[in-house]
Amino acid sequence: MKKGLRWKILLTAVILIGALVISYPIKEKIKLGLDLKGGIHLVMQVMTDDAVTMETDQEILRLQELFKKNSITYTTMTKEAPGRFTIQGTTPDQEVKVKDQLDQYLRDWDYLFAGTSATVTLKPIAMSAMKEQAVDQSVETIRNRVDQFGVAEPIIQRYGRERLIVELPGVDNPERIQDIIKTAAILEWKLVKAGPAADEATLLKEFGDKVPEDMEVVKGDPKRRAEGFYLVNKVAAVTGKDLSLVRRSQDEYGGPAVSFQLKPDGATRFEQVTGANINKPLAIILDKKVQSAPNINAQISDSGIIQGHFTIQEADDLVLILRSGALPAGIKTLENRTIGPSLGADSVKAGLLAGLIAILSVMTFMIVYYKLSGVNAIVALILNVVILFGALAYFQATLTLPGIAGIILGLGMAVDANVLIFERMREEMALGKSVMNSISLGFSRAFSAIFDSNLTTIISAVFLFQFGTGPIKGYAVTLIVSLCANLFTAVFVSHWIFDATHTKNTKKLSI
Amino acid sequence: MPLELFKTPNIKFLKYKYHALALTLLIILAGLINILFGNGLKLGVDFGGGTLIRVVYKMPMSVNDIRQTLRDIGLGNSSIQEAGKAGKEFQIRTMQVIKAADAQQELEAHQKLADQVIAALKGNDGAAELGRGLIDLNNIDTRGLTALLTTPFAADAPALTESILRLRNDKGIFADYGELAQSGLKPEVITFLKDKTFLGKLTVVSRETVGPQAGAELRRKATLAVIWSLIGMLVYIAFRFKLEYGIAAIFTLAQDVLITVSIYSFTSREINLPIIAALLTIVGYSINDTIVIFDRVRENQKAKRKEPLETIMNLSLNQCLGRTLITAGTVFLTVGALFLFGGKVINDFAFCMLLGSIEGVYSTIFMSCPIVLIWTKIFPKTKGFRK
Repeated sequence: MKKGLRWKILLTAVILIGALVISYPIKEKIKLGLDLKGGIHLVMQVMTDDAVTMETDQEILRLQELFKKNSITYTTMTKEAPGRFTIQGTTPDQEVKVKDQLDQYLRDWDYLFAGTSATVTLKPIAMSAMKEQAVDQSVETIRNRVDQFGVAEPIIQRYGRERLIVELPGVDNPERIQDIIKTAAILEWKLVKAGPAADEATLLKEFGDKVPEDMEVVKGDPKRRAEGFYLVNKVAAVTGKDLSLVRRSQDEYGGPAVSFQLKPDGATRFEQVTGANINKPLAIILDKKVQSAPNINAQISDSGIIQGHFTIQEADDLVLILRSGALPAGIKTLENRTIGPSLGADSVKAGLLAGLIAILSVMTFMIVYYKLSGVNAIVALILNVVILFGALAYFQATLTLPGIAGIILGLGMAVDANVLIFERMREEMALGKSVMNSISLGFSRAFSAIFDSNLTTIISAVFLFQFGTGPIKGYAVTLIVSLCANLFTAVFVSHWIFDATHTKNTKKLSI
Repeated sequence: MPLELFKTPNIKFLKYKYHALALTLLIILAGLINILFGNGLKLGVDFGGGTLIRVVYKMPMSVNDIRQTLRDIGLGNSSIQEAGKAGKEFQIRTMQVIKAADAQQELEAHQKLADQVIAALKGNDGAAELGRGLIDLNNIDTRGLTALLTTPFAADAPALTESILRLRNDKGIFADYGELAQSGLKPEVITFLKDKTFLGKLTVVSRETVGPQAGAELRRKATLAVIWSLIGMLVYIAFRFKLEYGIAAIFTLAQDVLITVSIYSFTSREINLPIIAALLTIVGYSINDTIVIFDRVRENQKAKRKEPLETIMNLSLNQCLGRTLITAGTVFLTVGALFLFGGKVINDFAFCMLLGSIEGVYSTIFMSCPIVLIWTKIFPKTKGFRK
């Protein structure tokens, strides 16, 4: 055996066996993309301003309390924008006291006094941190919900500054899961002051036709058969944050409902509110919609149920959403693709058939045109495919339709590498060179063309991977992998096979 | 003797460089006129935004019937295409222009349109059956079917569900219960299904809605990715060969894309993300071809320093002609198979690739070397190659 050949064969065998082991069984190891498998692809935007607005509202409430405690007078505090509010009507002699409070309690905020009013603004760093956190928290919450719903291998990731990509393979009930993902899940219990009424005007008649300062109007949720308008307290008795345990149970008529338990802190407040308001209605509000407004029959402390004419599925979904917590900000959908499993199955079937026909016809051509050398090319080609799938399995890459395009280009270039080498060998033989010489020159002279063309394409694919979106990325990955495999099989493996099967005494090259 | 389709010929390709340039410009001009003033480029939902719905019917339908149904709800201008499966499968894209206050409302409006389309196509099909508490077997999901089958078949339910749904995925839709029997499902299961379910007349196989914001973003990102990858290639080729070769390669690639898109614009096919992948693949093949030629020119220039560049280029093109045509032929074979047998989803992609594989040969022979030559005539300076 020729020098070094043993090591070349060993190296090839190790890579071949490694690739086979990694990619076996292929159905489990190669993940198919949504376009081939079916599923849901969502691009969503987190409305991060919502989170800042909520924070601003909370800070205003906190400051009002602090001012009251320290007997600082002011006329109004108004929110001007997310992250900015003004305090009006402070007297000049109290300016120091106000500044004291702001310095002490609102450290993330800047303030500017002008006469009797002050503008308080959230620091830019704090604002971007808050937005950042809102996006991270949304990813976490959505992941929680999707996991509890039971989707295999979901992808939930950030994409850009405020966007999320949610990919749920194999889900065949798109509406339900989307509802679960998008529900903000802000749950509040508020005392009902009036209603339900058919419209706002009737509702506000006994309040002088305007909404009192400490109250607000909330619509009923038609899905829950709670139509009309309700006038409720602005301050919630308890909220979703006070929940410690939720599960599906039954109401007194045996219909599906959701029962809950409160944390000790919330239970104390709930006890106070329900105790003081027996026989008055208490509205259960989810995302600004009244689910139901049952009468308080007796003092309740730490547990109760949420009714709302639910179906079993709706009750289950509500439990799931409440368990995973509220989203920190609203979410809107920018892109929504639902691919049914049958469409993907069609594509895979047709793609496999076409691929098989293509490979067989290319192989036939290679054998007819290049005879035994063509067999060598086919061995290299098969090895290329095995390494490609091994690498895809190893990197846990997802195979998509554009990814198949990448494979086609890669295999095409693999065939081309062989054609380049063989044509070169023929040229050298036509010039009267010996068999071994022709083989060696064929490889060495074709090498620069193969190397440059493969590397150029790899470079372009790396940029596509870096800057492209989903499908284009999938294309770039398979292309890069198959071209790297190509440099190995067409140049290295094919060469030693030629060396191993030909000697100085070989009179004729079958090409 | 080796089997040879192409003996090294001696064609003076470069004699025709100005003819070729004229032809190229003519095709691109025709394409541009068509794109700007004629049919225009049909952007798919990926880039143009909007809704694309694919439905499969139980019974064959005609495009006209569907159009009539959509006309009744004021969406008669939707694009309706038959998509294989013997008149049972259709692709519907709503063409309604929606003007809304913000992007989110626009997306919601598109989604509502899609709901309307699906509702109209379904009509009052299945209303009576649903009223009797039956479930649509053509539209039930995994959970629903498992729950339904659990009552009589207990532990067998998940396996039964899987085999029934796999069959449904295979067929797209059940036309009658006989199809279930053929698959070897037990008679008692079929009797039970007949009793508890009905077969709805259509099912939605896919539904894609892309908001205008996301569409614009996808467009921007795709363009950016392509531009960067072209720059990457330019730099590498300029480094390995010479600047004019890098520039010629980029011109060749730009021509590949422009000619393909120009011809594509005369068809009724849409531009989608997979089409971008096809264009990139065409560019990939073409750069491969071009480099093989440039590599040969580089080699021949070292061996024959006295010869003028034009002679060397003609020689190199002729020497490589066999390889160029064989490789293009195998690519053509591959994408031809995809085009004929690859199914509807990949059909536009394969068509684009077919165009490209023919056009790529033309551009390799008549564009790459001629541009270098024209460039060296305009800027005559350095000689020889980098090592």
